[in-house]
Amino acid sequence: MATPAEVVTGGFEPYVVGSAGRAAGLVRPAFVPDHPDRPDTIVDGIVVNGSAGAPAATVRAASVRGLSHRAYATVRQDDYALRVTPDGRYLVLCVADGVSAAPLSHLAACWAAQEGTKQLVRLLATTPPADLGWTEFIGYVATVIVDWAGKTIAELDADPVAVARKMSAALSFAVVDLAPTGAGNTVHLMTIGDTSGWIIGQDGYWFPLQPVKNAGADIYSSAVSALPALTQPPAPPVTAVLGPGEVLVVMTDGVGDPLGDGSGVVGEFLARAWREPPPELAFAAQISFTRRTFDDDRTAVAVWPVTPAS
Amino acid sequence: MNAPLGKLLPFYLVIDVSFSMQGNKIEAVNEMMPAVLDALAQAPILSDKVRFALIDFSKDAQVRLPLSDLLDEHTTMPELTTRTITSYAAAFRLLRTEIEQNVRQLKADGYAVHRPAVFFLSDGAPTDTTAEWQAAFRELTSYDPKTGQGFAMFPNVVPCGVGDADPKTLQALIHPAEGSKQMRMYLMDHGEDAAKAISTIAEVLISSVLASGESLAKGESGLILPDEKDLPAGVSSFTADHEDFV
Repeated sequence: MATPAEVVTGGFEPYVVGSAGRAAGLVRPAFVPDHPDRPDTIVDGIVVNGSAGAPAATVRAASVRGLSHRAYATVRQDDYALRVTPDGRYLVLCVADGVSAAPLSHLAACWAAQEGTKQLVRLLATTPPADLGWTEFIGYVATVIVDWAGKTIAELDADPVAVARKMSAALSFAVVDLAPTGAGNTVHLMTIGDTSGWIIGQDGYWFPLQPVKNAGADIYSSAVSALPALTQPPAPPVTAVLGPGEVLVVMTDGVGDPLGDGSGVVGEFLARAWREPPPELAFAAQISFTRRTFDDDRTAVAVWPVTPAS
Repeated sequence: MNAPLGKLLPFYLVIDVSFSMQGNKIEAVNEMMPAVLDALAQAPILSDKVRFALIDFSKDAQVRLPLSDLLDEHTTMPELTTRTITSYAAAFRLLRTEIEQNVRQLKADGYAVHRPAVFFLSDGAPTDTTAEWQAAFRELTSYDPKTGQGFAMFPNVVPCGVGDADPKTLQALIHPAEGSKQMRMYLMDHGEDAAKAISTIAEVLISSVLASGESLAKGESGLILPDEKDLPAGVSSFTADHEDFV
Protein backbone atom coordinates (compact mmCIF):
# COMPACT_ATOMS: atom_id res chain seq x y z
CA MET A 1 0.00 0.00 0.00
CA ALA A 2 1.43 3.36 -1.05
CA THR A 3 2.06 5.87 1.68
CA PRO A 4 0.66 9.31 0.98
CA ALA A 5 3.35 11.77 -0.16
CA GLU A 6 4.74 13.82 2.71
CA VAL A 7 4.25 17.51 2.18
CA VAL A 8 6.78 20.25 2.99
CA THR A 9 5.32 23.63 3.87
CA GLY A 10 6.78 26.95 5.02
CA GLY A 11 9.60 29.03 3.64
CA PHE A 12 11.78 31.98 4.37
CA GLU A 13 12.18 35.34 2.79
CA PRO A 14 14.22 38.08 4.49
CA TYR A 15 12.36 41.21 5.51
CA VAL A 16 13.16 44.42 3.66
CA VAL A 17 11.77 47.76 4.81
CA GLY A 18 11.95 50.38 2.05
CA SER A 19 15.18 50.49 0.08
CA ALA A 20 17.55 47.56 0.68
CA GLY A 21 20.66 49.43 -0.46
CA ARG A 22 23.62 47.84 -2.23
CA ALA A 23 25.37 46.36 0.80
CA ALA A 24 22.68 43.82 1.67
CA GLY A 25 23.14 42.07 -1.66
CA LEU A 26 26.93 42.36 -1.88
CA VAL A 27 28.34 41.76 1.60
CA ARG A 28 29.76 38.30 2.20
CA PRO A 29 29.54 37.63 5.94
CA ALA A 30 33.07 37.12 7.22
CA PHE A 31 34.31 34.61 9.77
CA VAL A 32 36.15 36.19 12.70
CA PRO A 33 39.28 34.12 13.36
CA ASP A 34 40.02 35.84 16.70
CA HIS A 35 36.62 35.01 18.19
CA PRO A 36 35.37 31.72 16.70
CA ASP A 37 33.32 31.12 19.86
CA ARG A 38 31.11 34.15 19.30
CA PRO A 39 27.85 33.21 17.50
CA ASP A 40 26.58 35.44 14.69
CA THR A 41 23.03 35.16 16.02
CA ILE A 42 21.36 34.02 19.23
CA VAL A 43 17.64 33.49 19.72
CA ASP A 44 15.29 32.55 22.55
CA GLY A 45 11.58 31.97 22.76
CA ILE A 46 10.11 31.09 26.15
CA VAL A 47 6.94 31.14 28.16
CA VAL A 48 7.60 32.22 31.73
CA ASN A 49 5.52 30.76 34.51
CA GLY A 50 4.47 33.06 37.32
CA SER A 51 4.33 32.34 41.06
CA ALA A 52 1.21 30.20 40.70
CA GLY A 53 2.90 28.03 38.05
CA ALA A 54 0.62 29.22 35.26
CA PRO A 55 2.01 30.98 32.15
CA ALA A 56 2.54 34.65 32.97
CA ALA A 57 4.47 36.04 30.01
CA THR A 58 5.75 35.06 26.59
CA VAL A 59 9.25 36.28 25.75
CA ARG A 60 11.06 36.56 22.43
CA ALA A 61 14.70 37.59 22.32
CA ALA A 62 17.26 37.76 19.56
CA SER A 63 20.65 39.31 18.92
CA VAL A 64 21.87 39.34 15.34
CA ARG A 65 25.26 40.49 13.98
CA GLY A 66 24.88 43.57 11.82
CA LEU A 67 25.74 43.79 8.15
CA SER A 68 28.74 46.04 8.78
CA HIS A 69 30.25 43.68 11.35
CA ARG A 70 29.68 40.84 8.89
CA ALA A 71 31.41 42.87 6.18
CA TYR A 72 34.38 44.00 8.27
CA ALA A 73 34.97 40.61 9.95
CA THR A 74 34.15 41.74 13.47
CA VAL A 75 32.00 39.99 16.05
CA ARG A 76 28.48 40.76 17.18
CA GLN A 77 28.92 43.20 20.06
CA ASP A 78 25.29 43.25 21.15
CA ASP A 79 24.00 40.77 23.70
CA TYR A 80 21.05 40.04 25.96
CA ALA A 81 20.24 38.02 29.08
CA LEU A 82 17.01 36.70 30.59
CA ARG A 83 16.36 35.49 34.15
CA VAL A 84 13.36 34.75 36.35
CA THR A 85 13.45 35.08 40.14
CA PRO A 86 13.16 31.66 41.86
CA ASP A 87 9.75 32.56 43.24
CA GLY A 88 8.45 33.24 39.72
CA ARG A 89 7.48 36.78 40.64
CA TYR A 90 9.82 38.78 38.39
CA LEU A 91 11.23 38.49 34.89
CA VAL A 92 14.62 40.21 34.73
CA LEU A 93 16.16 41.09 31.39
CA CYS A 94 19.04 43.01 29.94
CA VAL A 95 19.86 44.27 26.46
CA ALA A 96 23.49 45.29 25.92
CA ASP A 97 25.24 47.14 23.12
CA GLY A 98 29.03 46.86 23.13
CA VAL A 99 30.59 50.17 22.08
CA SER A 100 32.40 49.41 18.83
CA ALA A 101 35.18 51.94 19.30
CA ALA A 102 36.56 49.55 21.95
CA PRO A 103 37.74 46.26 20.43
CA LEU A 104 36.58 43.82 23.15
CA SER A 105 33.20 45.37 23.88
CA HIS A 106 31.35 42.12 23.21
CA LEU A 107 32.88 40.87 26.47
CA ALA A 108 31.62 43.89 28.42
CA ALA A 109 28.16 43.42 26.86
CA CYS A 110 28.09 39.72 27.74
CA TRP A 111 29.43 40.08 31.32
CA ALA A 112 27.23 43.06 32.14
CA ALA A 113 24.10 41.34 30.83
CA GLN A 114 24.75 38.02 32.58
CA GLU A 115 26.14 39.29 35.88
CA GLY A 116 23.80 42.29 36.03
CA THR A 117 20.67 40.17 35.67
CA LYS A 118 22.08 37.65 38.17
CA GLN A 119 22.64 40.45 40.68
CA LEU A 120 19.13 41.84 40.14
CA VAL A 121 17.67 38.40 40.88
CA ARG A 122 19.73 38.32 44.12
CA LEU A 123 18.57 41.81 45.12
CA LEU A 124 14.92 41.08 44.33
CA ALA A 125 14.95 38.24 46.88
CA THR A 126 14.90 40.88 49.62
CA THR A 127 14.03 44.18 47.93
CA PRO A 128 10.90 45.07 45.96
CA PRO A 129 11.79 46.53 42.52
CA ALA A 130 10.54 50.01 43.41
CA ASP A 131 13.13 50.14 46.22
CA LEU A 132 16.11 48.87 44.23
CA GLY A 133 19.26 50.96 44.65
CA TRP A 134 19.99 51.46 40.96
CA THR A 135 23.02 53.72 41.48
CA GLU A 136 24.73 51.03 43.56
CA PHE A 137 23.64 48.42 41.06
CA ILE A 138 25.26 50.32 38.19
CA GLY A 139 28.42 50.62 40.27
CA TYR A 140 28.33 46.85 40.81
CA VAL A 141 28.03 46.15 37.06
CA ALA A 142 30.89 48.56 36.30
CA THR A 143 33.03 46.80 38.92
CA VAL A 144 32.29 43.39 37.39
CA ILE A 145 33.44 44.62 33.97
CA VAL A 146 36.63 46.16 35.37
CA ASP A 147 37.48 43.13 37.57
CA TRP A 148 36.84 40.55 34.88
CA ALA A 149 38.71 42.58 32.29
CA GLY A 150 41.68 42.73 34.69
CA LYS A 151 41.58 38.93 35.07
CA THR A 152 41.14 38.26 31.35
CA ILE A 153 43.58 40.73 29.82
CA ALA A 154 47.05 40.47 31.32
CA GLU A 155 48.39 43.97 30.69
CA LEU A 156 45.25 45.82 31.77
CA ASP A 157 45.09 47.94 34.94
CA ALA A 158 41.97 47.64 37.04
CA ASP A 159 41.03 51.17 36.13
CA PRO A 160 37.60 51.96 34.59
CA VAL A 161 38.99 54.43 32.04
CA ALA A 162 41.75 52.06 30.87
CA VAL A 163 39.26 49.18 30.70
CA ALA A 164 36.73 51.35 28.83
CA ARG A 165 39.27 51.83 26.04
CA LYS A 166 39.22 48.05 25.57
CA MET A 167 35.58 47.32 26.29
CA SER A 168 32.45 49.27 27.04
CA ALA A 169 28.71 48.68 26.78
CA ALA A 170 25.45 50.62 26.75
CA LEU A 171 22.81 48.72 28.72
CA SER A 172 19.12 48.54 29.55
CA PHE A 173 17.91 46.46 32.48
CA ALA A 174 14.21 45.74 32.99
CA VAL A 175 12.32 44.09 35.83
CA VAL A 176 8.82 42.93 34.86
CA ASP A 177 6.40 42.09 37.67
CA LEU A 178 4.72 38.87 36.56
CA ALA A 179 1.90 39.37 39.08
CA PRO A 180 -0.33 41.95 37.37
CA THR A 181 -2.29 44.55 39.26
CA GLY A 182 -5.66 45.63 37.89
CA ALA A 183 -3.92 47.96 35.42
CA GLY A 184 -1.40 45.44 34.18
CA ASN A 185 2.20 44.38 34.77
CA THR A 186 4.54 46.92 36.34
CA VAL A 187 7.84 47.39 34.50
CA HIS A 188 10.97 49.00 35.95
CA LEU A 189 13.53 50.08 33.38
CA MET A 190 17.07 51.38 33.90
CA THR A 191 18.90 52.59 30.81
CA ILE A 192 22.55 53.58 30.36
CA GLY A 193 23.43 55.01 26.95
CA ASP A 194 21.54 54.54 23.72
CA THR A 195 19.71 51.27 24.30
CA SER A 196 15.99 51.91 24.78
CA GLY A 197 12.73 50.57 26.17
CA TRP A 198 9.33 50.96 24.50
CA ILE A 199 5.74 49.87 25.00
CA ILE A 200 3.70 49.04 21.92
CA GLY A 201 0.10 49.96 22.68
CA GLN A 202 -2.92 47.97 21.55
CA ASP A 203 -3.31 50.44 18.68
CA GLY A 204 0.25 49.72 17.46
CA TYR A 205 1.53 53.07 18.77
CA TRP A 206 5.13 53.01 20.06
CA PHE A 207 5.52 54.72 23.42
CA PRO A 208 9.17 55.46 24.31
CA LEU A 209 10.17 55.00 27.96
CA GLN A 210 13.00 57.58 27.55
CA PRO A 211 13.68 60.55 25.26
CA VAL A 212 14.23 59.42 21.64
CA LYS A 213 17.91 59.58 20.57
CA ASN A 214 18.88 62.54 18.36
CA ALA A 215 15.29 63.82 18.16
CA GLY A 216 15.48 67.38 16.83
CA ALA A 217 19.25 67.39 16.26
CA ASP A 218 20.64 69.01 13.08
CA ILE A 219 23.64 66.71 12.95
CA TYR A 220 23.39 63.05 13.93
CA SER A 221 25.67 62.13 16.81
CA SER A 222 26.44 58.66 18.07
CA ALA A 223 28.31 59.76 21.18
CA VAL A 224 27.23 57.31 23.84
CA SER A 225 27.38 56.89 27.59
CA ALA A 226 28.40 53.39 28.60
CA LEU A 227 29.84 51.23 31.41
CA PRO A 228 32.36 50.87 32.99
CA ALA A 229 33.25 54.60 32.63
CA LEU A 230 30.10 56.73 32.46
CA THR A 231 30.57 60.08 30.72
CA GLN A 232 27.38 61.48 32.23
CA PRO A 233 25.07 60.45 35.09
CA PRO A 234 22.42 57.96 33.91
CA ALA A 235 18.80 59.02 33.63
CA PRO A 236 16.74 57.88 36.64
CA PRO A 237 14.90 54.55 36.33
CA VAL A 238 11.48 54.59 34.69
CA THR A 239 8.40 52.79 35.97
CA ALA A 240 5.59 51.98 33.56
CA VAL A 241 2.57 49.69 33.45
CA LEU A 242 2.21 47.14 30.69
CA GLY A 243 -1.54 46.97 30.10
CA PRO A 244 -3.51 44.11 28.56
CA GLY A 245 -2.64 43.67 24.88
CA GLU A 246 0.52 45.76 25.19
CA VAL A 247 4.07 44.63 24.45
CA LEU A 248 7.30 45.66 26.18
CA VAL A 249 10.28 45.90 23.81
CA VAL A 250 13.82 46.63 24.98
CA MET A 251 16.32 47.13 22.16
CA THR A 252 19.75 48.30 21.09
CA ASP A 253 20.12 51.27 18.73
CA GLY A 254 20.62 48.84 15.85
CA VAL A 255 16.84 48.45 16.00
CA GLY A 256 16.15 51.81 17.66
CA ASP A 257 17.82 54.02 15.03
CA PRO A 258 15.77 52.75 12.07
CA LEU A 259 12.68 52.68 14.33
CA GLY A 260 13.11 56.44 14.88
CA ASP A 261 10.20 57.67 17.00
CA GLY A 262 8.17 54.59 16.12
CA SER A 263 5.60 56.45 14.01
CA GLY A 264 7.06 55.46 10.62
CA VAL A 265 7.19 52.42 8.41
CA VAL A 266 9.55 50.42 10.68
CA GLY A 267 7.29 50.94 13.71
CA GLU A 268 4.21 49.93 11.72
CA PHE A 269 5.93 46.81 10.42
CA LEU A 270 7.15 45.61 13.83
CA ALA A 271 3.97 46.51 15.69
CA ARG A 272 1.96 44.48 13.18
CA ALA A 273 4.42 41.58 13.31
CA TRP A 274 4.32 41.55 17.12
CA ARG A 275 0.61 41.86 17.81
CA GLU A 276 0.99 38.26 18.98
CA PRO A 277 4.30 36.58 19.88
CA PRO A 278 5.82 35.39 16.57
CA PRO A 279 7.77 32.12 16.24
CA GLU A 280 11.21 32.74 17.77
CA LEU A 281 13.13 32.40 14.49
CA ALA A 282 10.65 34.76 12.82
CA PHE A 283 11.36 37.26 15.60
CA ALA A 284 15.09 37.12 14.80
CA ALA A 285 14.34 37.59 11.10
CA GLN A 286 12.04 40.52 11.86
CA ILE A 287 14.59 42.47 13.90
CA SER A 288 17.23 41.87 11.22
CA PHE A 289 15.13 43.49 8.47
CA THR A 290 17.18 45.06 5.70
CA ARG A 291 17.03 48.85 5.33
CA ARG A 292 19.61 50.90 3.47
CA THR A 293 22.51 52.20 5.67
CA PHE A 294 21.17 50.55 8.86
CA ASP A 295 23.87 47.93 9.31
CA ASP A 296 24.49 47.87 13.08
CA ASP A 297 23.99 44.79 15.29
CA ARG A 298 20.31 44.24 16.06
CA THR A 299 19.05 43.11 19.45
CA ALA A 300 15.59 43.13 21.00
CA VAL A 301 13.78 41.43 23.86
CA ALA A 302 9.98 41.55 23.71
CA VAL A 303 7.56 40.58 26.49
CA TRP A 304 3.87 39.76 26.03
CA PRO A 305 2.04 39.32 29.35
CA VAL A 306 -0.29 36.33 29.26
CA THR A 307 -3.80 37.43 30.07
CA PRO A 308 -5.31 34.78 32.38
CA ALA A 309 -8.15 32.95 30.66
CA SER A 310 -11.44 34.11 32.16
CA MET B 1 11.48 62.04 12.67
CA ASN B 2 9.24 59.02 11.91
CA ALA B 3 11.51 56.21 10.72
CA PRO B 4 14.70 57.66 9.22
CA LEU B 5 15.44 56.65 5.62
CA GLY B 6 19.12 56.23 6.37
CA LYS B 7 22.25 57.71 7.92
CA LEU B 8 24.40 59.67 5.48
CA LEU B 9 27.97 60.99 5.52
CA PRO B 10 28.42 64.00 3.20
CA PHE B 11 31.83 64.80 1.69
CA TYR B 12 32.61 68.09 -0.06
CA LEU B 13 35.64 68.25 -2.31
CA VAL B 14 36.56 71.92 -2.82
CA ILE B 15 39.09 72.62 -5.58
CA ASP B 16 41.10 75.71 -6.45
CA VAL B 17 40.75 76.30 -10.22
CA SER B 18 42.75 79.52 -10.37
CA PHE B 19 44.86 80.02 -13.50
CA SER B 20 47.97 78.52 -11.89
CA MET B 21 46.22 75.13 -11.71
CA GLN B 22 46.27 74.74 -15.49
CA GLY B 23 48.10 71.90 -17.17
CA ASN B 24 48.82 68.60 -15.43
CA LYS B 25 47.49 69.87 -12.07
CA ILE B 26 43.92 70.29 -13.33
CA GLU B 27 44.29 66.98 -15.17
CA ALA B 28 45.23 65.30 -11.88
CA VAL B 29 42.25 66.98 -10.22
CA ASN B 30 39.93 65.60 -12.87
CA GLU B 31 41.11 62.10 -12.04
CA MET B 32 40.24 62.44 -8.35
CA MET B 33 36.50 61.84 -8.54
CA PRO B 34 36.74 58.80 -10.84
CA ALA B 35 39.25 57.34 -8.35
CA VAL B 36 36.82 57.94 -5.47
CA LEU B 37 34.07 56.33 -7.53
CA ASP B 38 36.19 53.23 -8.17
CA ALA B 39 36.95 52.91 -4.45
CA LEU B 40 33.27 53.27 -3.49
CA ALA B 41 32.25 50.65 -6.04
CA GLN B 42 34.37 48.17 -4.05
CA ALA B 43 32.87 49.19 -0.68
CA PRO B 44 29.11 48.56 -0.65
CA ILE B 45 28.61 49.22 3.09
CA LEU B 46 30.10 52.65 2.53
CA SER B 47 28.65 53.49 -0.86
CA ASP B 48 25.16 53.23 0.63
CA LYS B 49 26.02 56.04 3.07
CA VAL B 50 28.48 58.40 1.43
CA ARG B 51 27.37 61.41 -0.59
CA PHE B 52 29.88 63.50 -2.56
CA ALA B 53 29.81 67.07 -3.79
CA LEU B 54 32.38 68.92 -5.91
CA ILE B 55 32.81 72.67 -5.67
CA ASP B 56 35.42 74.65 -7.59
CA PHE B 57 36.52 78.21 -6.90
CA SER B 58 38.47 80.99 -8.52
CA LYS B 59 37.07 84.56 -8.57
CA ASP B 60 33.74 82.94 -7.76
CA ALA B 61 32.79 79.48 -6.52
CA GLN B 62 30.56 77.02 -8.36
CA VAL B 63 28.85 73.75 -7.48
CA ARG B 64 30.13 71.41 -10.18
CA LEU B 65 28.57 68.26 -8.71
CA PRO B 66 25.69 68.70 -6.27
CA LEU B 67 25.76 66.35 -3.27
CA SER B 68 25.23 62.98 -4.97
CA ASP B 69 25.39 59.24 -4.70
CA LEU B 70 28.39 58.71 -6.99
CA LEU B 71 27.28 55.20 -7.93
CA ASP B 72 23.86 56.41 -9.02
CA GLU B 73 23.51 55.88 -12.76
CA HIS B 74 22.29 59.47 -13.18
CA THR B 75 25.45 60.99 -11.66
CA THR B 76 27.86 62.41 -14.23
CA MET B 77 31.36 63.58 -13.34
CA PRO B 78 32.12 67.22 -14.13
CA GLU B 79 35.28 68.25 -16.01
CA LEU B 80 37.02 71.15 -14.23
CA THR B 81 38.82 73.89 -16.15
CA THR B 82 40.90 76.75 -14.79
CA ARG B 83 39.62 80.31 -14.47
CA THR B 84 41.31 83.35 -12.89
CA ILE B 85 42.14 84.34 -9.28
CA THR B 86 41.93 82.53 -5.91
CA SER B 87 39.06 83.67 -3.68
CA TYR B 88 38.94 81.45 -0.58
CA ALA B 89 36.11 83.64 0.71
CA ALA B 90 33.92 82.76 -2.29
CA ALA B 91 34.55 79.05 -1.63
CA PHE B 92 33.71 79.29 2.08
CA ARG B 93 30.51 81.28 1.47
CA LEU B 94 29.24 78.83 -1.11
CA LEU B 95 30.16 75.88 1.11
CA ARG B 96 28.17 77.31 3.99
CA THR B 97 25.10 77.84 1.76
CA GLU B 98 25.41 74.40 0.19
CA ILE B 99 25.90 72.52 3.45
CA GLU B 100 22.97 74.25 5.07
CA GLN B 101 20.68 73.60 2.10
CA ASN B 102 21.85 70.01 1.63
CA VAL B 103 21.49 69.04 5.30
CA ARG B 104 18.07 70.71 5.54
CA GLN B 105 16.93 68.93 2.39
CA LEU B 106 18.29 65.54 3.46
CA LYS B 107 16.61 65.90 6.84
CA ALA B 108 13.35 66.97 5.18
CA ASP B 109 13.68 63.87 2.99
CA GLY B 110 13.93 61.78 6.17
CA TYR B 111 17.67 61.11 6.52
CA ALA B 112 19.88 61.39 9.57
CA VAL B 113 23.07 63.24 8.60
CA HIS B 114 26.55 62.88 10.05
CA ARG B 115 28.79 65.93 10.28
CA PRO B 116 29.93 66.91 6.76
CA ALA B 117 33.60 66.64 5.78
CA VAL B 118 35.39 69.15 3.54
CA PHE B 119 38.62 68.44 1.65
CA PHE B 120 39.93 71.82 0.49
CA LEU B 121 42.67 71.75 -2.17
CA SER B 122 44.65 74.85 -3.20
CA ASP B 123 47.92 75.63 -4.99
CA GLY B 124 48.24 79.24 -3.94
CA ALA B 125 47.57 81.95 -1.40
CA PRO B 126 44.13 83.56 -1.35
CA THR B 127 43.71 86.74 -3.37
CA ASP B 128 41.09 88.01 -0.86
CA THR B 129 42.14 90.26 1.99
CA THR B 130 43.00 88.29 5.11
CA ALA B 131 40.05 89.85 6.94
CA GLU B 132 37.69 88.76 4.17
CA TRP B 133 38.59 85.06 3.94
CA GLN B 134 38.89 84.82 7.72
CA ALA B 135 35.39 86.23 8.20
CA ALA B 136 33.96 83.82 5.62
CA PHE B 137 35.75 80.90 7.30
CA ARG B 138 34.37 81.90 10.70
CA GLU B 139 30.85 81.97 9.23
CA LEU B 140 31.41 78.41 8.00
CA THR B 141 32.97 76.90 11.10
CA SER B 142 32.22 78.77 14.31
CA TYR B 143 29.60 77.28 16.58
CA ASP B 144 28.96 77.50 20.31
CA PRO B 145 27.00 74.45 21.48
CA LYS B 146 26.12 76.17 24.76
CA THR B 147 24.38 79.20 23.26
CA GLY B 148 23.55 77.66 19.87
CA GLN B 149 25.19 80.67 18.22
CA GLY B 150 26.92 80.07 14.89
CA PHE B 151 26.61 77.26 12.36
CA ALA B 152 25.49 74.00 14.00
CA MET B 153 26.14 72.05 10.78
CA PHE B 154 29.77 73.22 10.61
CA PRO B 155 31.96 70.78 8.69
CA ASN B 156 35.22 69.11 9.58
CA VAL B 157 37.76 70.82 7.30
CA VAL B 158 40.90 69.15 5.94
CA PRO B 159 43.05 71.65 3.97
CA CYS B 160 45.42 70.27 1.34
CA GLY B 161 48.19 72.32 -0.26
CA VAL B 162 50.29 71.79 -3.38
CA GLY B 163 52.59 74.06 -5.38
CA ASP B 164 52.70 77.56 -3.98
CA ALA B 165 49.99 77.09 -1.34
CA ASP B 166 50.77 79.01 1.84
CA PRO B 167 51.20 76.54 4.75
CA LYS B 168 50.44 79.15 7.40
CA THR B 169 47.15 80.12 5.72
CA LEU B 170 46.07 76.53 5.13
CA GLN B 171 46.96 75.66 8.72
CA ALA B 172 44.39 78.24 9.87
CA LEU B 173 41.72 76.28 7.97
CA ILE B 174 42.13 73.05 9.95
CA HIS B 175 38.82 72.53 11.75
CA PRO B 176 38.40 71.45 14.47
CA ALA B 177 41.92 72.64 15.23
CA GLU B 178 42.03 70.92 18.61
CA GLY B 179 40.25 68.46 20.86
CA SER B 180 39.45 64.77 20.41
CA LYS B 181 38.16 65.28 16.86
CA GLN B 182 41.14 67.37 15.75
CA MET B 183 41.71 67.46 11.98
CA ARG B 184 45.00 67.78 10.05
CA MET B 185 46.25 69.36 6.86
CA TYR B 186 48.17 67.69 4.04
CA LEU B 187 51.04 69.47 2.29
CA MET B 188 53.12 68.57 -0.73
CA ASP B 189 56.75 68.02 0.26
CA HIS B 190 59.34 70.50 -1.06
CA GLY B 191 60.51 69.75 -4.57
CA GLU B 192 57.64 67.35 -5.36
CA ASP B 193 55.66 67.56 -8.55
CA ALA B 194 52.30 69.25 -7.85
CA ALA B 195 50.27 67.00 -10.16
CA LYS B 196 51.74 63.91 -8.49
CA ALA B 197 50.98 65.43 -5.08
CA ILE B 198 47.34 65.92 -6.12
CA SER B 199 47.11 62.22 -6.98
CA THR B 200 48.62 61.41 -3.60
CA ILE B 201 46.10 63.66 -1.87
CA ALA B 202 43.36 61.78 -3.74
CA GLU B 203 44.73 58.61 -2.11
CA VAL B 204 44.57 60.30 1.31
CA LEU B 205 40.98 61.35 0.59
CA ILE B 206 40.01 57.81 -0.42
CA SER B 207 41.61 56.18 2.62
CA SER B 208 39.86 58.75 4.78
CA VAL B 209 36.50 57.99 3.15
CA LEU B 210 37.05 54.26 3.65
CA ALA B 211 38.26 54.65 7.24
CA SER B 212 35.39 56.97 8.11
CA GLY B 213 32.97 54.44 6.69
CA GLU B 214 34.49 51.71 8.82
CA SER B 215 34.30 54.01 11.84
CA LEU B 216 30.60 54.59 11.10
CA ALA B 217 30.29 50.83 11.15
CA LYS B 218 31.89 51.02 14.57
CA GLY B 219 29.20 53.35 15.80
CA GLU B 220 31.31 56.48 15.67
CA SER B 221 30.51 59.55 13.64
CA GLY B 222 33.87 61.26 13.27
CA LEU B 223 35.87 61.86 10.12
CA ILE B 224 38.88 59.55 10.27
CA LEU B 225 42.16 60.60 8.64
CA PRO B 226 44.82 58.05 7.68
CA ASP B 227 47.61 57.27 10.13
CA GLU B 228 50.78 59.26 9.57
CA LYS B 229 52.70 56.03 8.99
CA ASP B 230 50.30 55.04 6.19
CA LEU B 231 50.78 58.31 4.32
CA PRO B 232 52.04 57.92 0.73
CA ALA B 233 55.43 59.51 -0.08
CA GLY B 234 55.51 63.11 -1.32
CA VAL B 235 52.90 64.47 1.10
CA SER B 236 53.18 65.23 4.82
CA SER B 237 50.49 66.01 7.36
CA PHE B 238 50.45 68.64 10.09
CA THR B 239 48.21 69.64 12.97
CA ALA B 240 47.03 73.16 13.76
CA ASP B 241 49.58 73.50 16.57
CA HIS B 242 52.59 72.58 14.41
CA GLU B 243 55.00 75.54 14.74
CA ASP B 244 57.33 75.38 11.72
CA PHE B 245 55.32 77.70 9.49
CA VAL B 246 55.93 81.45 9.51
